[in-house]
Amino acid sequence: MGKTSRFGTAQLLFVLSVGILVVVVAVPMLLIFFNAFWVNGHFNVADVIRVLRQSETYEALLNSLFLSSGVTITGTLVGTFFAWLVTRTDLPLKKTMKLLFLVPFMLPAFIGALAWKMLLSPRAGYINRLFMDVFGFSSPIFDIYTYAGIILVETMYLFPFVFIQVSGALERMDPTLEESARISGADLFTITRKITIPLVMPSILSGALLIMLYSMAHFGTVAVLGVETGIYNIPTLIYEKIHQSAGSFDSIRTATVLATVLVITAAFILWLQNRVLNQGRYQIIAGKSFRPSELKLRTWRIPMLVFCLLYIGLTIVLPTVTIFMVGGLKTYGLPFVSENMTWENYRYILFEWDLTRDAIWNSVSLGLSAALITMFAGVIISYVIVKMKVRGKGILEFLGMLPFSVPGSVIALGVILAWSGKYGINLYNTVWIILVAYVARYMAFSLKANSAALEQVHDSLVEAARASGATMWQALKDVVVPLVRPGMMAAFFLIFLPALRELTVSVLLYGPTTRTIGVAIYTLNEDGETVYSAALAGIALVIIVTGEILIKRLVAGKSNA
Amino acid sequence: MRVLKKIASACAVAALCGAFSAGVQAQEQKLYVYTSMKESMLNDIRASFAKKHPEVKLEYQSAGAGKLMAKIAAERESGKILADVLWTSEVPDFYHLKSQGILLPFIPAEIKSIRNPLPDYDGSFTAIRLGTLGIAYNTRFIKEAPKTWDDLKKSEFKGAFGIANPALSGTAYMSVATISKTFGWSFFEALRANGAKMGKGSGQVIDDTASGDLVASLAVDYITLDKIKKGATMALVYPPEMLVIPSPVAIFKDSPNALAAKKFVDFMVSKEGQSIIAEQGTLPVRPDVKLPESYKLPSVEDAVKRAMAIDYQQFMQEKESNIKKFTEIMQKK
Repeated sequence: MGKTSRFGTAQLLFVLSVGILVVVVAVPMLLIFFNAFWVNGHFNVADVIRVLRQSETYEALLNSLFLSSGVTITGTLVGTFFAWLVTRTDLPLKKTMKLLFLVPFMLPAFIGALAWKMLLSPRAGYINRLFMDVFGFSSPIFDIYTYAGIILVETMYLFPFVFIQVSGALERMDPTLEESARISGADLFTITRKITIPLVMPSILSGALLIMLYSMAHFGTVAVLGVETGIYNIPTLIYEKIHQSAGSFDSIRTATVLATVLVITAAFILWLQNRVLNQGRYQIIAGKSFRPSELKLRTWRIPMLVFCLLYIGLTIVLPTVTIFMVGGLKTYGLPFVSENMTWENYRYILFEWDLTRDAIWNSVSLGLSAALITMFAGVIISYVIVKMKVRGKGILEFLGMLPFSVPGSVIALGVILAWSGKYGINLYNTVWIILVAYVARYMAFSLKANSAALEQVHDSLVEAARASGATMWQALKDVVVPLVRPGMMAAFFLIFLPALRELTVSVLLYGPTTRTIGVAIYTLNEDGETVYSAALAGIALVIIVTGEILIKRLVAGKSNA
Repeated sequence: MRVLKKIASACAVAALCGAFSAGVQAQEQKLYVYTSMKESMLNDIRASFAKKHPEVKLEYQSAGAGKLMAKIAAERESGKILADVLWTSEVPDFYHLKSQGILLPFIPAEIKSIRNPLPDYDGSFTAIRLGTLGIAYNTRFIKEAPKTWDDLKKSEFKGAFGIANPALSGTAYMSVATISKTFGWSFFEALRANGAKMGKGSGQVIDDTASGDLVASLAVDYITLDKIKKGATMALVYPPEMLVIPSPVAIFKDSPNALAAKKFVDFMVSKEGQSIIAEQGTLPVRPDVKLPESYKLPSVEDAVKRAMAIDYQQFMQEKESNIKKFTEIMQKK
């Protein structure tokens, strides 16, 4: 009896996890490829090539590649430099600075883009106006509506990918290697070039590829800063196609072809990352038993600190303040003097505009539900992948991690194809379609966190429980789940927080009553209601930052207890 | 451990509540209006309509006409149009929808009192506003008001005159088509040679004019006047040949809320509804509604007399090619 019941539970879990992944991930993906390559029931590559040869398509593709390469280069340089500064020098207030450099991760990039539009648009941006009106410059000092502007803004909010990876590697690195080089007479430059950089190179590269992956699939910044001057990347072009002439099959097809290109490029980047990581498995980065030697900055100590503070001030404080100030203007473009300031926009957005309540409610409930569903589904699927000996679990792993390489706009498009009534179920215009997309989008996060936790649970524990007479289900419930709870927690927050401020997916899926916070801000800006969109963005920032802090507290309090 | 349990159960409750309230909402009788009008106008209309018909809960989706049509197309594809009522300024769309037979003809009670600008009237859609577009300019940069359309070719406007994207905005499409018929495409070519730009939505070009990103734009009346009222350094002027674009309202045939929809159309045609339109700073369709002095809008009769001719059938048929032509001109380097 024991045997059959074990078999039953295992089968059940397996079927359940396959079912979830197929419905949520595989079907939408397949539909995209199907729609891209099949025309009227025929496999048709010529038509795909025709779409790719249209100037707007390949320009968007080139823009995506160009912008993401640019952001990757600058973001990597900035991230590596600051990582080195806070780990390997005697910079004052290192710990605080390290935390401060993680703050850009909290700010949604598109809100940053909105702020920089207000500061640096060529004629109306407050910084440009300051220079032209007060210092008598004849032309604006910087035009944000350019490739350089987009790269600059994305760099500001994406460099932490590299910063986190590299500062981690630098901290864990065995300093005896550098010391032995120094003892052998190498100077600092040689040490850096021959020892330090090669050792952290894998971390730099994997951070860089994360930036590239993110930037290529990023909607918000390009939508705010690029589209006006005709700079489209693939996600913004997909948005344009879906929103302007959607319904017509041709535009949906163009979008699926674009999506396919995006998926292939992303897959290539991930493959590259895997290769880099496998090559770079130097066993030299060991446990944290050594204290790395610090470079004495000497006379540069204070100037470097000032530089870091200036950087934080310019990239975090200034944009945030701008958002709140513009949110308090009577109308956009007025100077910031007291007679132009009003609480009216905040009052209107908070208490009068129905969509605010809708948007906050939608974002919070979508974030919670997506996090919960992926958390539980993630445990089940990871358990099958890590612990069970079932055939075909490789497919599960592949399916689960697939969305990690699939950009948000592609998932949204797949969900539209799958769930707008053609196959019996119509979720279009409801929150459910966004929820399905979020579950697909964030499943990989949950799988990563949960499999890491599960790998630490030794099989003997389950076996002991089973030997003492527990059923499979009891063993799971009483032994495994309690042990992987930290992993489940981590998965929950890894999903809830990004979902709260999500824009790329929901902007393609929202209906009249299903705007998310991101969509509400974005559409207000698109409609030319700059002051309202700033007011709402300010409110959203308060919600997001409060959420982050509360959760950090909660997690910290728990680990202390 | 406890904490996780608490969070989990709290979340589960929240998620269930979400599911539950979504279910309840779906059963409630609502009137969905898809419209390209902006919040400033819709808020007042909704408030007055709620007073008159408290039994109807009016919801609207405000977006550019292009986006709304795309949404409707996608909804038709999926089998159900969520909107009960459509109200935009892209008149050709209405002729198009009528020819496909998906509009519900309804002749409002007070139809006799309005000045109907639309030919072949059968109640499928009724104009409830005469939108005008003029030149909005930022008074910080432009000291002398432009008087004619040709003034826009002058150097004061170099590189900083904006027109909304006709693919997104209904008023922009109607204006572009109308001007090109009256003055020829060469007019836009000359503007482009002077550095004119194509923006995004109709609201966005005006916001950019208020901020100074553009010195002037082809601007919708009430959006501009609302911003001027809030203190923007702008002014709105009309050249002798005026752009007068009707905004019709239509009910979808399959609307489950047709009764409420008819109440809405009747309300909008009534003197009360038309007064709200006038108070917002745009022209009503009823000549018997008094225009607020402060806006200095031309009278309905005057505007109709000065209006450039519009051929709705032709504009419908040429829509795609007109947009393409205009986009090509405006993106020329």
